[in-house]
Amino acid sequence: MDQTTLVLLLLPIIAIQLGLMIFTLVDLVKNPNPNGPKWLWAILIVFVNILGPILYLVIGRRNY
Amino acid sequence: MTQFNVLLKKEWRENFRNYKVFWIPIVFILFGIIEPVTNYFMPQILDSVGNLPDGAVIEIPPPEPEEILVAVMGQYQLIGILVLVLAYMGSVAGERKNGTATLLYVRPLSYRSYFLSKWILASAVGMLSVWSGLLAAYYYTFLLFERVDFTKFLKFGATYSLWILLIVSLVLLMSAVLPNAGLAAAGSLLLIFVFQLIDGLLGTYWTVSPLKIPGYAAQWLLDGPKPEDFWWTAGIGILLIFAMILAGIRSSKANASKTKV
Repeated sequence: MDQTTLVLLLLPIIAIQLGLMIFTLVDLVKNPNPNGPKWLWAILIVFVNILGPILYLVIGRRNY
Repeated sequence: MTQFNVLLKKEWRENFRNYKVFWIPIVFILFGIIEPVTNYFMPQILDSVGNLPDGAVIEIPPPEPEEILVAVMGQYQLIGILVLVLAYMGSVAGERKNGTATLLYVRPLSYRSYFLSKWILASAVGMLSVWSGLLAAYYYTFLLFERVDFTKFLKFGATYSLWILLIVSLVLLMSAVLPNAGLAAAGSLLLIFVFQLIDGLLGTYWTVSPLKIPGYAAQWLLDGPKPEDFWWTAGIGILLIFAMILAGIRSSKANASKTKV
């Protein structure tokens, strides 16, 4: 298993995760009234893989 | 018909602006990719975290490509359903809470168009997510393992789509029946998981039940389910979807008379 194939395989996963994270963070910064403290959401989004951004989008944005 | 188009446009705009059209499929794709990749790297993962004594040899037979697709479906059964339920729990209940519903109720509203517009958008997003996720999983399985027969895959995806439609209809119905979004989510998750548990424990005694749809979907990848059982199950599933839509329309109508301004 050489290094390049490994990177190529993992690239889409990393890209999607990072993309989701950045996208959610930008939305959090712009959001005037998130459901809960902003800094807590920021920590959740950055440190909890996948689930953090999902939770923010579902619960934190108050869009239900 | 124009009213229906307007409502559909409203739903589309809502789903677009709260990004549901983007992030739900992305989550499904992510889980569709992770499953084959972790399976592919399983020996290395075990090596690095396994904490095995030196010289221990574990022979893991490479998984069958079909098994991986079934495992992806297993992920969707838990996380996918959770995401769909949480995303659409507020379709009707949330509108009642934030006042959109009151604005709609004071107009001569066709509740059929109202509920159907929500159902169509939610189902479309569900279908988009499941198919893009499964196709991503299919592609990765093809790259890392072997090719799965594409007709079998299509049958598998189609059967699983029916199950997702069932879930979406249930969430929307719950959202119309119950007073708030949290209760709607809790209600639908409870129903889904309790019935699945019952079917898992006692399901050997019957072969026709809408809860067996995911199981039959997985069987399409192997030899295929018994046609008779499958078609009865699929038929009941479709009838159930219609019944839930009708019930949803009725209870959104009932909601209008309960609204307080």
